[in-house]
Amino acid sequence: MPIEGRDVLRRSITGHWRHTAGGSALAAGHQACEALVPVMIGVVIDRAISTGDAAELAGWIAALAAVFAVLSFSYRFSFRIAERASELAAHGLRAELAGRVLQARGGAEAGRLPGELVAVATQDAKRVGAVNVALAAGVSALAGLLAGGVALLRVSVPLGLVVLLGIPPLLLLAHLLGKPLERRSGAEQERAAHASGVAADLIAGLRVLKGIGAEAAAVDRYRRTSRDSLAATLRAARAQAWHDGGMLTLTGVFIAIVALVGGRLAAQGEISVGQLVAAVGLAQFLLTPLSILSWANGEFAQGRASAARVASVLAMPPAVTGGDDVLPEPLQGRIRLHEVTHGALRGLSLDVAPGELLGVVTADPAVAASLLRVLNRTADPSSGVVELDGVPLRTLDPAEVRRAVVVADHDADLFEGSLLGNVTAAMPPDAAPDAAEAAMAAAAVDEIARVLPYGAATALTERGRSLSGGQRQRVALARALATGAPVLVLHDPTTAVDAVTEARIAEGIRKVRSGRTTIMLVTSPALLAAADRVIFVDGGVPAAEGRHVELVHDNEAYRATVLA
Amino acid sequence: MEENTQMSMTGTAGTRQDEDRELLPTATAAQTRAAVRELARPHRAAALSGLAILIASTGVGLLTAPILGHIIDLVAAGRPAAAITAPVAWLAVIAVAQGVTAAAGVSFIARLGEGMLATLRERFVERALGLPLERVERAGSGDLTSRVTNDVSVITNAVRDAMPALARSLLTIGLTLVGLAVLDWRFLLVALVAVPIQVRTVRWYVRRAVPLYAAQRVAVGAQQQQLLDTVGGASTVRAFRLAEEHVRLVGTRSRAAVDLALRGVGLVTRFYSRLNLAELAGLSAVLATGFLLVRNGDASVGTASAAALYFHSLFTPVNIALGLADDAQAAVSGLARLVGVADAAPVPAPSPAPAPVRALPAVSLPVRVCGVEYAYRPGHPVLHGVDLDIAAGERIALVGTSGAGKTTLAKIIAGVHPPGSGSVTVDGTEPSGTDRAAAGRPVALVTQEVHVFSGTLADDLRLARPEAGADELRRALERVGALTWAQALPEGLDTVVGENGHRLTPAQAQQLALARLVLADPPVVVLDEATAEAGSAGARLLEASASAAVDGRTALVVAHRLTQAAAADRVVVLDGGKVAETGTHAELVRAGGGYAALWEAWSDNRQAPGD
Repeated sequence: MPIEGRDVLRRSITGHWRHTAGGSALAAGHQACEALVPVMIGVVIDRAISTGDAAELAGWIAALAAVFAVLSFSYRFSFRIAERASELAAHGLRAELAGRVLQARGGAEAGRLPGELVAVATQDAKRVGAVNVALAAGVSALAGLLAGGVALLRVSVPLGLVVLLGIPPLLLLAHLLGKPLERRSGAEQERAAHASGVAADLIAGLRVLKGIGAEAAAVDRYRRTSRDSLAATLRAARAQAWHDGGMLTLTGVFIAIVALVGGRLAAQGEISVGQLVAAVGLAQFLLTPLSILSWANGEFAQGRASAARVASVLAMPPAVTGGDDVLPEPLQGRIRLHEVTHGALRGLSLDVAPGELLGVVTADPAVAASLLRVLNRTADPSSGVVELDGVPLRTLDPAEVRRAVVVADHDADLFEGSLLGNVTAAMPPDAAPDAAEAAMAAAAVDEIARVLPYGAATALTERGRSLSGGQRQRVALARALATGAPVLVLHDPTTAVDAVTEARIAEGIRKVRSGRTTIMLVTSPALLAAADRVIFVDGGVPAAEGRHVELVHDNEAYRATVLA
Repeated sequence: MEENTQMSMTGTAGTRQDEDRELLPTATAAQTRAAVRELARPHRAAALSGLAILIASTGVGLLTAPILGHIIDLVAAGRPAAAITAPVAWLAVIAVAQGVTAAAGVSFIARLGEGMLATLRERFVERALGLPLERVERAGSGDLTSRVTNDVSVITNAVRDAMPALARSLLTIGLTLVGLAVLDWRFLLVALVAVPIQVRTVRWYVRRAVPLYAAQRVAVGAQQQQLLDTVGGASTVRAFRLAEEHVRLVGTRSRAAVDLALRGVGLVTRFYSRLNLAELAGLSAVLATGFLLVRNGDASVGTASAAALYFHSLFTPVNIALGLADDAQAAVSGLARLVGVADAAPVPAPSPAPAPVRALPAVSLPVRVCGVEYAYRPGHPVLHGVDLDIAAGERIALVGTSGAGKTTLAKIIAGVHPPGSGSVTVDGTEPSGTDRAAAGRPVALVTQEVHVFSGTLADDLRLARPEAGADELRRALERVGALTWAQALPEGLDTVVGENGHRLTPAQAQQLALARLVLADPPVVVLDEATAEAGSAGARLLEASASAAVDGRTALVVAHRLTQAAAADRVVVLDGGKVAETGTHAELVRAGGGYAALWEAWSDNRQAPGD
């Protein structure tokens, strides 16, 4: 049964139930003590100030100190414990989501942008975790309401009822008052945030702007955006201010009503002066637990929505199912495609001999993409079979397939870390000691290392953005070569590399991969010239085969594809 | 073991690199104060009215406690229940007056804060865009970006949320203290016993909170970045079987953020716990004073009750005001970083004409490079005496390995870097003078950095020519072969593109950059655009676009594919910072040097090359 939102929510609470329960109990104590403070003030006025009894004063102030001690202690630890439960639950979900996305069988990202998935792993995980804090806060608010209500009813039943029955309509009124304002202000706040976004965007494009001398135009545009945002912000701020002012008025009128009823009761001798003070204080205090309660309710609603989003990622079906065999050793590296249909492939058959350096040329990027997917079992063909040393890939564990067949996609990413760290990231533990060095030399990464401030130890920024496009491609190629995989598939590894270096790289690939199967899915003449054999795929099926020079000479379509 | 060594190597290298950076300036406290004063000057009227209204509002609000005290005195004096109605009516009137004045006051304060913020961010963007590119690159563009994102948002939050709350809390506190003094000066005196505890607590807190929250922001950023890296690169992670390592990295980064968040929670809870002590001390002192004053007949029970209620009502505003201490501190340091750039950068010269680039004749101009040398680091020259004459309208292809100095030469010709020695002249004048940051340069540069500006596609294009009509935009797109896809966008040229809009492919983004170039219409163009992300089919398409964009201009094209070189008027091969070969494609192929060897793979070997 696929995982659902409510399972995620339940797990995040039960997973840390000791923390959540402990935090809730302490938080309840805290709110109850908060309710006691105005009651204690009333008692001091009645028992000590009105009577002039010093011993009573000392005794009740000691009692007040005790209340504060409990209040302070329970606040401190309830909050800490509940936050711990919340953060740990979010942390657990983040790890689980990362694990699901990276699972060898794939499928989690289908139809989602990376940004969306990251938002699920950060914001949504956080909101699901935060339900733990909301739960503790909700329990504490109920305890505060209970304590305050009991205290009020003990002072006087009619006064207590005025307060307890008066608060819900007051909050409802506040809600109704705030609703349209909030909606409007939300939209305007968004427009207001726009100005900061545009500024960051212009700074990010600084070089582009300077390149075409567009600074003045950009500054003009920014000033207009900023003024628009300012107007929107001011409208939002005004709306908010009047909403807050309205709340202030409502609360004040409510306190006046309590004073009226309480004062009349006191004048009639039904309650004492101290009790009147306590009642006024309690009326003010009780607004807090009620607003906490409505806040907690909102958090729960958000938590539920977030849990549903988390669950939808966790429940995504894998892209490839079935097959968990392992490969026979030792591997020869023979690849065979038999009438493979998948995506843009239309019954493609190919044989790659062990140790061959094969070039595959196609004018259609969709054909290349489909071929790459079936070669490392990112997808299974809809018909036909892909075999490695005679074993159909469909019967193998995808992770096992990728141990033997490494597909270095054209848009493969680099990761944060040193240049060397990126090259060696996927090296098997039993790799030859000079494998990294050889791979770096073959991909002309040694040249890059020479111009970097700390050579191969230089840290790359995220996704290797501190390197130029061509440099990134070469580092990615070195990483692929360093794996020393029995079968390596290279897809357009040098599109951004200058022609001089590309020629050197072609030599390097030949040398490093000698004796091992390599498939180059490229249109670069420099690389194709180095291949043992080239297959030209047109319309999803092989159209011609031979050495690069022969195909260039004999085949018009091939010439148009690689030399244009 | 090996992995650990690698990681520590990375760490050290990262730090050392950061030290190499020459960060943009940060303003001193005095400069920041001066800047704030200057920003506030135009809003002085709003500030004074806002303050006056808030004082009135808080003053009115403070009447509540004495009126409650009066009610208590009426009750204690045994007056009839009806006597209470009048003071209660006053309570209601006060509530209304307080609500109205608070709303008006906060509106005024918002106008002050937001107005200042808008002016500051505008000035910052203006100056930041005026910074010489060389200076930005020395600091690392991350420095500027973090100022415009993190610092601006910290200050915005402070202005939007903290400032009104702080203003009202401080006024409530101030006026409550005045109210206590009016009841009896001794109440005020004893209420102040809370102050030393609060001062010490705030100092203790700020000392720890500011670095802790800074570390927390960094950790959350690192976690976010790791997730983006890992999730964005998921297919690479799977292809290279790096999942285990990446799940571990996500876990480590997430755990670090969690630990810091929990340390923050621990700090906050200790902070408020300590403030509870101040509350207890103050409240006990006020109650004891009330007791003594009532016993000595210096005050009524109502007055003592009012004082206690006053003090109790201080709890919330005091907590709010003190809790904002670290926000305020963060905002001040962010402000110093913004003011630092706004003050340090040269004021961009006001553009004399609305569009000076267009004032130049739309013809090509000759470029002369004479004995140019350049070194990024002293003692490591990248260029050694490069001479190059480019005729008006000539297209030169620059070929060579990376590290040969192609990009450096391109940047020097574009005026990004001044030559170390030697000279670059365009039509006989030096474009790389002091005003090279100002508009009106004759040389445009399109690099491999593609950026799609947020907003509509038309707005993006109009950055290059603000007054361009829709027809002009379409013609520019058509010229670079981008009109078809642009019109196929959901809303055509009005489609919102960029960060939060429709995502363009890297090839489309590059074509957009070329369309901007067509609109900017410079006489000299330097193209160093990469086709890395475009794939081989895309690369060919971009070549055609670039060729169309530079048509009729003097152009220096850093060639990535040899077909680009073959199409140029002349090829210049750079090697080790020197010109190694120069001539037409056919000449160089015939000469049989290094260039000819490269070309071999690109041609049909069995035909005679080059004819």
